[in-house]
Amino acid sequence: MTAYDERTLPRPLPIGPAGYRTPGWWGVLALIGTEAAVFAYLIFSYFYLQSQTSQPWPPSGLPPLRWSAPSTAILLVSAATMWWAERGMRLGKLIRLYSGLILTLLLGVAYIVLQCFDWRGEPFLANSGAYGSLFYAITAFHVLHTAAGVLIVAAIAGWCALGYITPRRNSAVTVVALYWYFVVAAWIAVFVTLYLLPWITPHGGPP
Amino acid sequence: MAANPTFKTPVIAQPTGELRGKMEGMWSDPPGLYGWLGTTDHKKIGKRYLVTAFVFLMVGGIEALGMRLQLAQPNEHLLSPGLYNQFFSMHGFTMIFLYSLPILSGFSNYLWPLILGTRDMAFPRLNAFTYWVFVLAGIFLYIGFWGGKGTDVGWFNYVPLAERQYNPDWNVDVYSLGMIFLGVSTTAGAVNFIATMFRTRAPGMSISRVPIMIWGTLVANIGILFAVPAVSLDFLMLWLDRRFGTQFFNPATGGRPLLWQHLFWIFGHPWVYAIVLPAMSIVSQGLPVYCRRPLVAHSAVVLATILTMVLGFGVWVHHMFSTGLPVIAMGFFAAASFVIVIPSAVSVFAWVATIWTGRPVFTTAFKFFAAEIVLFVIGGVSGFMTAAVPLDWQLTDTYFVVAHIHYVLIGINVFPVVGGIYHWFPKMTGRMMSERLGWWNFWLMFIGFNLGFFPMHISGLEGMPRRIYTYPANMGWGDLNLVTTIGAFVFALGVLLFVINVIRSRFVGEKAPANPWDAPTLEWATESPPPSYNFAVIPRVATLHPLWEERLDGSRQSLLDEGAVLDDEHEIPATTALDAEPDAIMKMPHTTLAPVSLALLIAGTFVGLLMSMWWVAAACLLAMIPALLWWFWPRPEMGWAERARP
Repeated sequence: MTAYDERTLPRPLPIGPAGYRTPGWWGVLALIGTEAAVFAYLIFSYFYLQSQTSQPWPPSGLPPLRWSAPSTAILLVSAATMWWAERGMRLGKLIRLYSGLILTLLLGVAYIVLQCFDWRGEPFLANSGAYGSLFYAITAFHVLHTAAGVLIVAAIAGWCALGYITPRRNSAVTVVALYWYFVVAAWIAVFVTLYLLPWITPHGGPP
Repeated sequence: MAANPTFKTPVIAQPTGELRGKMEGMWSDPPGLYGWLGTTDHKKIGKRYLVTAFVFLMVGGIEALGMRLQLAQPNEHLLSPGLYNQFFSMHGFTMIFLYSLPILSGFSNYLWPLILGTRDMAFPRLNAFTYWVFVLAGIFLYIGFWGGKGTDVGWFNYVPLAERQYNPDWNVDVYSLGMIFLGVSTTAGAVNFIATMFRTRAPGMSISRVPIMIWGTLVANIGILFAVPAVSLDFLMLWLDRRFGTQFFNPATGGRPLLWQHLFWIFGHPWVYAIVLPAMSIVSQGLPVYCRRPLVAHSAVVLATILTMVLGFGVWVHHMFSTGLPVIAMGFFAAASFVIVIPSAVSVFAWVATIWTGRPVFTTAFKFFAAEIVLFVIGGVSGFMTAAVPLDWQLTDTYFVVAHIHYVLIGINVFPVVGGIYHWFPKMTGRMMSERLGWWNFWLMFIGFNLGFFPMHISGLEGMPRRIYTYPANMGWGDLNLVTTIGAFVFALGVLLFVINVIRSRFVGEKAPANPWDAPTLEWATESPPPSYNFAVIPRVATLHPLWEERLDGSRQSLLDEGAVLDDEHEIPATTALDAEPDAIMKMPHTTLAPVSLALLIAGTFVGLLMSMWWVAAACLLAMIPALLWWFWPRPEMGWAERARP
């Protein structure tokens, strides 16, 4: 039989999750899809309740940018360090990969700390009204995603230090980087919705 | 060979007895409890899904029979009003969440790798995990019932009735947390199906050669990915409202009860398609086999399936026509609901044309598949009717809607499922089901179903509201309800015969050959039941119907008895998403306790949250970190990592 042509089998094939679209890549893509949907439904709820209220929204004045603006910058930088680490791995520079992962991890922790300061400064609680409930739900949901991301990056950095991850065995880094970019992108959506839009289009209730 | 080779050229050979013996040794689970708890074999997991979901169907069915006895005549006192509320709520969520989707996951888990010509799902451990989470969530959802009070505000659990001030017991907390818990299983399963579809198809099974059954499940699971978050979020908000006093649904402080309904139905309507599209694809896959011809308009049916799911996300407000929304919004959603008829009709006409132009063989499976077409049309027409806003105002919350939902869910889910079992039972067990019992089984179910549920259309038109525990005699609904109750019991008798047929055939059924129905797809190319490794050599696919090529194309083009051997532990080829060209060899995991452990830790977390034992929840959550590290540890033997430096 001659049904096997050059493009199919037999030919040398890499063993294990090699290449770009590994099962892990598809898995994380699907995970990002479903998590992005949660953020979308949270933001839908926010705009829905805003559209239905006759009270000022947010009820206690414009949201402070004191902590959230720097934390946005920090997360943007962390996406860059993750990209820098990933590129380093592709180029075979393991030291760059390792230090890029550690930098990303530290920036992620810094964002979480800043968000805690932001919470401390807010004049309302999660049970003082629907706005507060949504505000804390959305921001806490994002902080949880970042915390999970920090733990995952820590695990990857550890495996990197143990010598498991090499330029040839890099799918774990690719997949985790994809998740991290999602965390940063989700924050941009949250930041624009919760912190920026009220400054641009203040919603003061009925005229 | 080196200890951890990076590349390998697969050997192409014909299967030998020696190879089969070696593969059996590598792929079968170790005996005993460890093998039972730790299996990642998609066939075992699929069968467990089928059995567990069917048990839930019978539990939900018993609840339904209780309600039917109560309603058989006016002013009965079998169930108290409170118990009746629990019965219809438990019946609803049991059937919709614990039966409808899991039973289809059972089929898909069992059949996907066989139909795709491979040896396991893309994530075998995740597959085991989804099953354990499903079982534990199912038990969790029932503890309220055993703990004194089950959830009693209907399966869609509207606020404010579901809020703490009107419903202070723990039953709604059980329901809320249980639904979030179950969502973990559903979502993880969806991720697995998507990765399996795009990464593990047999070489040569390009996107145009993917059988229809795969499409139905894939499309439904992509929908699940975007629909389930809405309901998980909704229930999380409700639980936070009840437990911590947040204000999501409280209008006094800016919340809105309608937010619950929006999020619930943004999930709820796509969910309808998630639990019917895979079942419709069972019909599309099975019916042509008994019509002795390929499905008419395969590509159109695939595209219609995709279109139905997409449109399914744009019709949720038709569940809320009576809530006083703006007319323009209702007009949009009514129009979208009408449009969905078009892709549905594509499937119906394709099935009818397949029967019409085929040479039907009237087996039991054929009868169930053909009945699905009839019931789908009836359920579709009643749905079409309620898409019209003024008629919906008249019919909403009456038995007309109850009739509609049951024609849809029993007609398009239960009938294809039972037909699917008759179709694939020989593959799963190596034995045929009794056709004689099957005849009785089918006619009892078909007549009982129509006798039971068709009169509900009339009682609904006569104004009988749903969810009432009894009704006065002077309403004149007594006779219709008696007929409904008799029909329900005839239907239940049919289901009982089905169970008897399954159990009996399992042990004394006639032995089944590899392909008893002379079907065209790959699952029939391997033995019945399939060996633990599915295929001794990996098939190479050249058409949509590999086993019918001699008849349809003149000669055999796919290669089934010669292929890649891949016999170095658990290996399968990874192929590209569109062309299915092999581009890597995947090393699959072995028997492991990681999935069941992680599922138990999640269960522990939810129990802790339910009982307000925060330390239990926190401890289980923390314990998940080492469990996940264990799971994802980069094992060189799986090709995930280089060997660690010495």
